[in-house]
Amino acid sequence: MKPRPDETATAEELRKRIAAQFGRSLHIRTMDTGSCAVCEQEIRLLAAPHYDLHRLGFFFTPAPRHADLLLVTGPMVRAFEVAARKTYEAMPGPKVVVATGACALGGVYQADPFVHGEVEAVLPVDVWIPGCPPSPLALLQGLGVAVGRLAEKMPGLTFVADGDGDAR
Amino acid sequence: MNPLDLLYGAGGAWLAAALAGLLAGSRRPGLQACCALSAVGGAAAAAGGGWSMVYGNTGLVTPGGGPTIVGGPLQLQATSLAGVFVALLGLVAVAIAWYAPRYHEPGRGTALYLAAYNLALLACLAVLAAGGMVTFLVAWETMSLACYLLILRHPRSDASARGAFWFLALSEIGFLLVVAAFVILSSKTHATALDAMAARAHLVGGGWLAAAYLLALIGFGFKAGLVPLHVWLPEAHPVAPADGSGFLSGVVVKLGVYGIALFAFRLDPVAGAWPGLVTMGAGALTAAIGILYAMGERDIKRFLAYSTIENTGIIVTAFGAAMIFHAYRLPALSAFLLIAGLYHVANHGCYKTLLFLEAGVVEHATGTRDMDRLGGLVHRLPRSAVIAFTGTLGIAALPPLNGFVSEWLIFQGLFQGFRTGSDLYGILIVLAAATLGLTGGLAIYAFVRGFGIPFLGMPRTRQAAAARETGQPLAGPGLLAVACVALAVGAPVMLAALSRTARTVTGVTLGPLLLPGKLTVLPAHADFSAFSPTYLAVFLVAACAVPALIYLAGRPRAASVSVPVWDGGMVSFKPRMQYSAMTFSAPTRVTFDALYRPAVSVTRASDDDPAGRSGPVHYEAQVTPIFERYLYRPVIRAVEWLADGVRPVQSGDVNLYLLYVFAVILLAYLLGAV
Amino acid sequence: MPLWFARGLRRGVVTTRYPARSDPSAASLPTPPAFRPRQLTVQIVDRMIAECPGTALSRAASTLVFDVGACTACGRCARVAPHAVTPSGEFELAATARSALVKMIPIRGEQR
Repeated sequence: MKPRPDETATAEELRKRIAAQFGRSLHIRTMDTGSCAVCEQEIRLLAAPHYDLHRLGFFFTPAPRHADLLLVTGPMVRAFEVAARKTYEAMPGPKVVVATGACALGGVYQADPFVHGEVEAVLPVDVWIPGCPPSPLALLQGLGVAVGRLAEKMPGLTFVADGDGDAR
Repeated sequence: MNPLDLLYGAGGAWLAAALAGLLAGSRRPGLQACCALSAVGGAAAAAGGGWSMVYGNTGLVTPGGGPTIVGGPLQLQATSLAGVFVALLGLVAVAIAWYAPRYHEPGRGTALYLAAYNLALLACLAVLAAGGMVTFLVAWETMSLACYLLILRHPRSDASARGAFWFLALSEIGFLLVVAAFVILSSKTHATALDAMAARAHLVGGGWLAAAYLLALIGFGFKAGLVPLHVWLPEAHPVAPADGSGFLSGVVVKLGVYGIALFAFRLDPVAGAWPGLVTMGAGALTAAIGILYAMGERDIKRFLAYSTIENTGIIVTAFGAAMIFHAYRLPALSAFLLIAGLYHVANHGCYKTLLFLEAGVVEHATGTRDMDRLGGLVHRLPRSAVIAFTGTLGIAALPPLNGFVSEWLIFQGLFQGFRTGSDLYGILIVLAAATLGLTGGLAIYAFVRGFGIPFLGMPRTRQAAAARETGQPLAGPGLLAVACVALAVGAPVMLAALSRTARTVTGVTLGPLLLPGKLTVLPAHADFSAFSPTYLAVFLVAACAVPALIYLAGRPRAASVSVPVWDGGMVSFKPRMQYSAMTFSAPTRVTFDALYRPAVSVTRASDDDPAGRSGPVHYEAQVTPIFERYLYRPVIRAVEWLADGVRPVQSGDVNLYLLYVFAVILLAYLLGAV
Repeated sequence: MPLWFARGLRRGVVTTRYPARSDPSAASLPTPPAFRPRQLTVQIVDRMIAECPGTALSRAASTLVFDVGACTACGRCARVAPHAVTPSGEFELAATARSALVKMIPIRGEQR
């Protein structure tokens, strides 16, 4: 969603193009860069009848050549870096990268000889979806934000509660 | 002026080429002169053959008059039936003549080879232009011997000697049977000229006619490559030089088919439909078995040899069905299938020769014929790849090329089997069509493998990566590729010529039942089906052009990025991880396991480690050569046993020999007295 | 097979209407905490930071820096200071900028 160095469109043009192209038909390629696989289970639930992402026009595809969106979980272990780059490069533009899960967002592991710690270290991430694991509803909202169908709520949230609770 | 004069010119040119090759072939100018003469001869032959397709049979000519040294007169006649074969011979000769200078290195071996090759061309021409039995047989044997020398280009290699020996041995057995067939016909009709034999054939008893036909079918079947008489093909083709293999598959095998057609349609009108049934059954079986064995081959030339066997089967099936329709008094369908079979002869000659020549180019460029060591040649040999792809499309019978046209014609003829009125024959003809359908499907599979593994993907070895196109012959195969396209788009022209041929051979004029308009083809009946090869070709090209135009005229293209092939994200992807030729054909080999009966041997570094972690696992699977093991080896053993039994007669004892002399003189005296 | 079909027909449509309509199961999801600034003191905040198994909480002078992206909704910070922390109930947390996931919460509680 941010213009890549090799793209000439502005961010706004790109956003419009992504909304027009992917708004109703999106192919998602999932990539696990070393997670505990619970995020994968939540992602898999998206295809189940209760959440059913197909009704929104989203599909899973194993081939990066056919994919529009790369859904990345896991803290990007260094052993996976080559495969991650190859997968990203194999996707034709325009493409969107979504990092999901606390591991992928850099909240669990610090960078060390075996792991980068966050997906942003290797791939240019467009949308972050927190959660451990993110529920399928959160994933649906994140995907909707990624294609411009839903508005982001995070900038408006403060995580400040009113009231005193139980005074000590 | 008639076509025979052009054939004289061709023969003369080839004789001169043989002499030039023999005397001067050790040097490059001599090599080029020989090839130039060969090309001239080829052009004359192509023109003569094409002309005689429409001209009809010329009269019998006896040059030199009277008996010659082999006991019979030299009788020549340019017939319509042979016209297709002569035209094919000429075209193949021109293509090989343009190919040979860049393929062969001048030297003594090449000189002898070129002399043998041009002699073989001359002998083939003589077979096709033979008007009499003796000429035919002498020319046939000369052709066999010349081809034997051709195959034996590298006499010091064991494989070469073995391949040439198989060719010669089976040729000779076939020749004996052919001689027997001709002798039966000739003695019963009291004639040696083929026209006279044909005219008097109806006077011969049915049993003799049947015997002669069966002998001819088996005898010519050895040359044509009918199963189980085919075993010389996969042995001889890999060891011959590429243009020799192309010549063998493109022309020599067709001479066997010509012989069968000669007996079936001209010389030997056997009553009843069973000879046609036997022929059709043999053809269908050959086609299926041929392509099944082709699936298991890694060597490109062995693969192409088995594909030749498959196509021979298709042609012979068409001829067999034509004989059945003739017996059931459906002359139009019979003529139609004859036309379809001859068309397939021409098509197969073009694209098979092309593929063998390209196999030679690949072998020269990379040093190997093994598909599993090649790959990625489309980038390194781009023009050869395009030419090879044209040939592959043709042989896989994909529209709009020529293979599709002739196979469509054969299928349309076979589907009309119900018109015979006989339930049994109708079902059998449809079974033959089903077998050909299986063959066609497997052929596409086999040739996706045959073109895809060596040419597409990534090179599997360094030799494949180092292939270069400079200095490789292009003109010869290119000519054949152009011929393939011309035979497809110009199908109406070819069919018009072939229908004139059919009229000369069978007396049936198809006319509007075959070509009602300028461009449409009907299968001998107005209400069955129709098809226009020209419109199909134009439509397919246009259909491909429309998306291309939309793409070019559409919205502005985004900047395109070139990225490596998607390999699953593997860190170190090795080209050997791609499909290999044997894994690609594994589904077929597993399904038809009963035919291949592979002998599998697996050896591991240590027995309690199935996964091979302690050392390499060696896996070897060998197709059981069932024909050699269960048919030929017992025959060979029987002959050896017989020879062993007869050996005591030649004991070396002079006294015994004197006894023989005495016994023979006594016998002769007694016989003379009686 | 017919039994399964009949059971399914009886159950009706089970697919959620989210995002067009809210999903009732969202109410039971574990969610990141919301903080009450007036109940936060530096000591409480430091205790919470020590309890947090990840890197979601840190302190910059008198501001609690809460990285929502690093939060696993484990609830340990709520156990430490139950009156200062309450579940936010927010599960629609996607952001197009990483910085939007880092929230600054002022510490306004009086020292006791």
